[in-house]
Amino acid sequence: MTNPKLKALVDAQKIYNDYTLRDDNINWWCGGCGNYPIQNALKRALALQGLERRDVMFCFDVGCSGNGSDKIEANTIHGLHGRVLPLAAGFKIGNHKMQVIAEAGDGATFSEGISHLAHAVRNDYPVLFILHDNQNYALTTGQPSALTPKCQSMSAAPEGLQIEPFHPLEVVLGLKPSFVAQTCSADIDHMTETIQNGLKHKGFAFINVLQACPTYNKFITHEWYLEHIQRLPEAHDPTDMESARKYAFSSDPFYLGQIYHNPERQNFLETVAHRDENSETLINEVAHQDISKLLAKL
Amino acid sequence: MERLKIRVVGHSGYGGLLSTGSIIAKALERLGFYVVADREYPSLIKGGTSCFTINASRESINSLSARPDILVAIDKPCLVKYFDTLNDGGTLVYGYERLSGITKILEEAVARNINVAHLNGREITHEAGGSERMKNVVLIGMLWKVLGLPYETIADQVKTQFAHKPNIIPPNLKCVKIGYERTETQFNTALPKDIPEMAFMDGNYALALGTIHAGVRAYYAYPMSPSTHLLTHMANHAKEFGYVVKQAEDEITVANLALGSMHAGTRALCATSGGGFDLMTETVSLSGMIETPFVCCLFQRPGPATGLPTWTGQGDLNLAIYSGHGEFARMVIAASDPTDHFELIQHALNFAEEFQMPVIFLSDKVSAEQYVSIPPLQQNTIPIKRGLVDKKDLGTLKNTDRYKITDSGLSKRWLPGESDAYYFANGDEHNAEGILDEEESAGDMYAKRLRKLDFAAKSMPEPVVYGHHQEADISFVGWGSTKGPIIDAIKEAERQGLKVNYLHFSFMWPLKTETLNKFFKENSNVHLAEGNYTGQLGNLIEQQTQNRFKGRLLKWNGRPFFTEDLETYINENK
Repeated sequence: MTNPKLKALVDAQKIYNDYTLRDDNINWWCGGCGNYPIQNALKRALALQGLERRDVMFCFDVGCSGNGSDKIEANTIHGLHGRVLPLAAGFKIGNHKMQVIAEAGDGATFSEGISHLAHAVRNDYPVLFILHDNQNYALTTGQPSALTPKCQSMSAAPEGLQIEPFHPLEVVLGLKPSFVAQTCSADIDHMTETIQNGLKHKGFAFINVLQACPTYNKFITHEWYLEHIQRLPEAHDPTDMESARKYAFSSDPFYLGQIYHNPERQNFLETVAHRDENSETLINEVAHQDISKLLAKL
Repeated sequence: MERLKIRVVGHSGYGGLLSTGSIIAKALERLGFYVVADREYPSLIKGGTSCFTINASRESINSLSARPDILVAIDKPCLVKYFDTLNDGGTLVYGYERLSGITKILEEAVARNINVAHLNGREITHEAGGSERMKNVVLIGMLWKVLGLPYETIADQVKTQFAHKPNIIPPNLKCVKIGYERTETQFNTALPKDIPEMAFMDGNYALALGTIHAGVRAYYAYPMSPSTHLLTHMANHAKEFGYVVKQAEDEITVANLALGSMHAGTRALCATSGGGFDLMTETVSLSGMIETPFVCCLFQRPGPATGLPTWTGQGDLNLAIYSGHGEFARMVIAASDPTDHFELIQHALNFAEEFQMPVIFLSDKVSAEQYVSIPPLQQNTIPIKRGLVDKKDLGTLKNTDRYKITDSGLSKRWLPGESDAYYFANGDEHNAEGILDEEESAGDMYAKRLRKLDFAAKSMPEPVVYGHHQEADISFVGWGSTKGPIIDAIKEAERQGLKVNYLHFSFMWPLKTETLNKFFKENSNVHLAEGNYTGQLGNLIEQQTQNRFKGRLLKWNGRPFFTEDLETYINENK
């Protein structure tokens, strides 16, 4: 094949196909669920970045998004509700040469897992985190999450909650993150591009995916989103926190793109002064250590 | 057995209790004594009464006596509090200059035939050109003379102790010298004939050494007594050995970080105490489900909730064996002395990796913090066993090999990314490659995981018998920190012509029964000794076997078993 562009596409297509389920005749999410396009965009982004199956570890939380753990042909781990971030961080510390991707819903992330999110941002663990933000607990049949809009009638909250929800970007921007982006499950191209950017980031990449849940969040469909999303203006400087906050807090329209980026920030592995990215992975260091010097001091 | 029994008492965090105890213990060790030393202290930083108990002998000892023959009091409140523990006919060493509040004690000392060694500590520190903080060093000199031990040894040890602050060495030496010169000898202490090669350390440090030696490359923890010293040791040596130490935001995170690192394929370890372990148990269950190795050290302290944070107990055996939802295979190992901590952690890591299951490593406050003279630790005696597919076979693997249903329950384990074969480590019930499986056949995978328990049990060592093998006058069964006092009691009983033996469990779960049944068959008066209220190991044994205990020696007040506890119980039940 002489045309390098064509060759790259063919290679990417092969990677994409590798990740694609052997048997695609089964449905595992509702028709119209945002998880399908999110998974599709993720596979596209990995293919375009040339990240093959052996290069990537996928870590899944529990919930509808977590049910994707065996629906992608790759190395995956399907952990505990709310706990995917420390699990993913632990994996990355063990083998920093693999790309580690963590996925979780808003229910887990902003309730049971909120301390893990806060400390993952603080530590800047080198993990790409995809937040499936469908604004409810879907797999337990549609209860309100900490991100469900006030007064919206839900299962177990017929009148809706009278409590203000968290704003996910406001929470994360308050924690001095290194990478915050927003995208939407209605726009596969934008999700692909955003995930590609996240894969290139060296620290903790937080990607909020505004996700349609046609079963429990009936009003916020892909069609609704298409009328309420807009790409960030070119003038926005992602290293400018003030500008980041301005666009992040808008809900009409929701701005898609790189909200905030601090490429200079030290990630967790860089903060371990006696190790660096050229160090061998911890998985290759398991052997008897000679403790003679310590024994001699006794 | 001839045993020097010394107790130094003083306020926590003031007056140099820790350095006083440490100087005395190390100086005794330098003379060739076998030493056991432990500190009892409250859960606060400054204030509160605490004590440092030191026992020394020319023969190996493994436990402490509850009552000292010599009480060294650094301050008055502690003198008042601990005076009653001093044996009749013993010696009180103190440097308090006034009589207020202690006249009664001094009268009682006369009545109980207690010798009193007293100097004005404060004045001597001035005479020596030092600060009043050095009062405790005067007491060290006095104690040394009371014991009739050579001055040079204690002077050398004081120099070693303060080597990092050379300017305070001369006044400290003067204090120790004056204290020594102006005191009468009360004991004709026979010196050891030779100085055996020994190491003097606590369980926590031995555990750190074993962990580092075994190739653990990531250590995760959240501070909690009595596991915190392990975090300190691991952090202090991280740079030298190049591993990662992370103090995380809570124990749930700690457990998940450790499991994630283990899943990647390195060796990781975490440690906590009961309350922290409660938070970890969901992750223990996940480890059982996805068959990813996981090792957690569970340091016991007594009581529910916060309980007695700085005291000892053995109340978490049931927690270790039964924690976590659902049924899954796990192993439980319990350490007693520093040697155990060094060796058993290496076995724990091997078992976790070989049998792909969580292993809970039990210790307790006294095992973790009590200093004991032990034979030097040996490196490279326990090979690292990882239970991983051989590198040359990685190309032949199929995805379904990972959780393939086998007779033993054990399937092949390889690391994500090292083979073209990949798998889903699925917390949901799953098939051989990890795909969600909700069919009736899901029960087969459930059973496969639990079959590993029987398979792993075959590799676990049987409990060990100490003392006479059969027909003892009285026999004990125990685990963890009960070992030291019982072994000492066996020797003491022998001197009195009594036959005592002891069956010690290090490998708690799955319960090994062969040696246990034999022990009960060959001994007719078998008793349980355990540091809890309900007799957890005893109940387990009586549930799983036909054996029945004649009696139970139980203790749950935060104190370890002392030699006196065993002597009294043996005399009443022999």
